[in-house]
Amino acid sequence: MIEAVISILIGALTAMVPLVLTSVGATVSERAGVVNIGYEGIILMSAFFGAIFAEITGNPWIGLIGGAFVGMLLGMLHGFITVYLKGDHVIPGIGVNLLALGVVAFGITAYWGTAGQHQVPTNVRVAPIINTPYGSLSPMVLITIAIAILTHWVLFRTPLGLRIRAVGENPEAADALGINVERYRFLATVYGAMLAGLGGAFMSVDWLGTVTKQLSAGRGFIALANMVFSGWNPLRALLGGFIFGFFDNLSVWVRTNPEIQRIVPWQFVATLPYLVTLIIVAGIIGKVRPPKADGKPYKRE
Amino acid sequence: MEEVPIIEMKGIVKVYPDGTKALKGVDFSVKKGEIHGLLGENGAGKTTLMKILSGMLHPTGGKIFVNGKEVRFKSPADALANGIGMVHQHFTLVDVFDGLHNIILGMEGHGLFSKIDVEKAKEKLQKLMDELNFQVPLDVPVEKLPVGVQQRIEILKTLYRDVDVLILDEPTAVLTPIEVKELFEVLRKLKSQGKTIIFISHKLREVMEITDRVTVLRKGELIGTVNTRETTPKELAKMMVGREVVLKIEKPPKEAGKPVLEVKDLWVKGDRGEDAVKGLTFEVRAGEIFGIAGVEGNGQTELIEAISGLRKVEKGKVILNGKDITGRPPRELYDLGMAHIPEDRIHMGLVIEMSVAENSILGLHWRKAFRGPLGLIRWDKVKEHAAKLVRDFEVSVPSIEAPAKSLSGGNQQKLIVAREVSKEPEFIIASQPTRGVDVASTEYIRNYLIKLRNENKAVLLVSADLDEVLQLSDRMAIIYEGKFVGIVKPEEVTEEQIGLMMGGIKNES
Ligand SMILES: Nc1ncnc2c1ncn2[C@@H]1O[C@H](COP(=O)(O)OP(=O)(O)OP(=O)(O)O)[C@@H](O)[C@H]1O
Ligand SMILES: [Mg+2]
Repeated sequence: MIEAVISILIGALTAMVPLVLTSVGATVSERAGVVNIGYEGIILMSAFFGAIFAEITGNPWIGLIGGAFVGMLLGMLHGFITVYLKGDHVIPGIGVNLLALGVVAFGITAYWGTAGQHQVPTNVRVAPIINTPYGSLSPMVLITIAIAILTHWVLFRTPLGLRIRAVGENPEAADALGINVERYRFLATVYGAMLAGLGGAFMSVDWLGTVTKQLSAGRGFIALANMVFSGWNPLRALLGGFIFGFFDNLSVWVRTNPEIQRIVPWQFVATLPYLVTLIIVAGIIGKVRPPKADGKPYKRE
Repeated sequence: MEEVPIIEMKGIVKVYPDGTKALKGVDFSVKKGEIHGLLGENGAGKTTLMKILSGMLHPTGGKIFVNGKEVRFKSPADALANGIGMVHQHFTLVDVFDGLHNIILGMEGHGLFSKIDVEKAKEKLQKLMDELNFQVPLDVPVEKLPVGVQQRIEILKTLYRDVDVLILDEPTAVLTPIEVKELFEVLRKLKSQGKTIIFISHKLREVMEITDRVTVLRKGELIGTVNTRETTPKELAKMMVGREVVLKIEKPPKEAGKPVLEVKDLWVKGDRGEDAVKGLTFEVRAGEIFGIAGVEGNGQTELIEAISGLRKVEKGKVILNGKDITGRPPRELYDLGMAHIPEDRIHMGLVIEMSVAENSILGLHWRKAFRGPLGLIRWDKVKEHAAKLVRDFEVSVPSIEAPAKSLSGGNQQKLIVAREVSKEPEFIIASQPTRGVDVASTEYIRNYLIKLRNENKAVLLVSADLDEVLQLSDRMAIIYEGKFVGIVKPEEVTEEQIGLMMGGIKNES
């Protein structure tokens, strides 16, 4: 029993990484007023390119950084369209998601010559820092927790955070005080996409060690939901990501455990991650209000 | 040798992207250390000119000089760097931030990544507030504060940036006479410190009192600049409108009829859970204007919201035409003949991104007159309606398809008034009905309210403008901390007595 608990906990901490990173990134982006629904595609593309970088250099950390870098580039594209060209916030995200599907599906075959799936060799995967008989823990778990806490602190305690929140709530007010609305929105967008990219690379060069075109499996969207449930708050997003990861692992465990399946059907347990995350995270915080200017381009006249 | 003006604007032209020509070559110059008034009818271009001076808008043509040096402002940051700051007609506050963070935003102290030193900022601000004798609460989200206080936060925000030139766009529109007096004290103090102030207002009395010189605009053109000491309100009005204006309110005596609105022992809570309205009882009768005067934040907002179904009634009753409407939804109240001119035009009166035509039927949109087959909206009828409102109330709009946000502040207000009275209500709540409206239109709106009264409608008037309440009301109540200090007839009291009552002092004479 105890080993099952430990293994589920470790699984939860691992599974939360891409979710939490993306949720925290999306939180910063939307706090600044930029909606991005392209995280699904960013995760996928960063997973793909992260694996390539890792294999070329033989260093998984370069793979992670490279994935974050690819996220940054896609974030810059999104920021350029939404912030500087004052374009729609939703359409570019759809574009990135579709593009990613094509690039990765084609790329796997073109680069590795395999059909649909590529296994990342163990020597270019991130080594765990804690090993137990029931599973091992990646350093990325600690990094993710640190990023969530740090981002929270920056967002709510520093001038940078104050400005980011101001341009997402009332860009005109910020503008009138001489704050460069576009610059802060752009930076927040790029930061958000960068974290999603890091999360994507984590999936290929660390956690799962594979690249497929279904790799992201809806995580970009689940992360957005988590961001909303947690009221655009990085620490709550961390909690939400963990709860989701926990029940996700629990449902996998139930599925492989015929005795328990006799009592509760696994289909029911499979809905739990979504249900419980929603209830707990939304339940604690109650009414939330999105940033007032979220998704609205800012033009002076 | 003539002194170099601190601000000089030459031949300023502004054409908005939709083609509206708001300024047609305006010259404007301000001397260092003066209080300079800027006057003009709604839509004359005052706000546009000042937004250009504060870097918010780029001029289509013309030059700006500060202390004789030509400048080109790319953004408000450049204007602030040149010592020019503006308090906007429509507040630019981040609602969810408290006063402190609104004020320090953009000037939080060193280092983008260092912790904001809240205590130090508070100290610095307290010093500024003490120096000016101008106090605001610093740790309450500004959306929870009355507009008068929000206004002060806006002013402090600009002063915190240590500007030399302070532009105030209709700062007194939301203030009570006492608050105006306090503001003027502050302005005089700033002037004595050598600051230059540009002051926009529609109230000629204020302009005569506080300014040194006045510039008048009309329809985007400069009419002239005069010394305040050498002019009269009448002359200023003539410069603004272009003809002699006779400002007169006709109010024939009238017997009030049966009660239309009855409020009985009403208790309402404020946003912070405090009792804001404490057991009010009164009635508004047919053919009567019942005014409520008082310093803003004494329960007026909560009272009006409770009557109009926007806020929960804790205890007591509201009765309209004999029917208990306590806690009923607004839609039902409208169907029963209620109309409401809300105090906050941007947030409650209009959907600012929507067109004039769309705004003109808000609250009327379910009426048969605007519905075609399948309940779809008949846009031809809507446009007809909007065109009529715009014509009757002389709302100056680029077109009825233009978004409401492209209207000048006073014209937005006129549009709301026009829409609400077009509902042909039995009972109308008029909350600050002439806020920010120019002289001529103010008289039009006031006369219209009297016309409604003469047609035996009931009018509940709430205004921070004491003159307005005195002039229009048949009976008036003075509200203080959620209770009426008294209900009086305007002709039976002096302004001094009312002033005392507004401070909560009941006088027995
Ligand atoms: N964003 C905009 N787009 C198009 N036209 C605009 C816009 N803002 C203002 N206008 C138009 O420019 C003209 C001048 O407007 P402005 O706001 O400067 O007037 P104002 O003198 O400040 O009036 P008020 O006393 O009512 O505040 C008006 O005709 C107005 O409709
Ligand atoms: Mg104006």
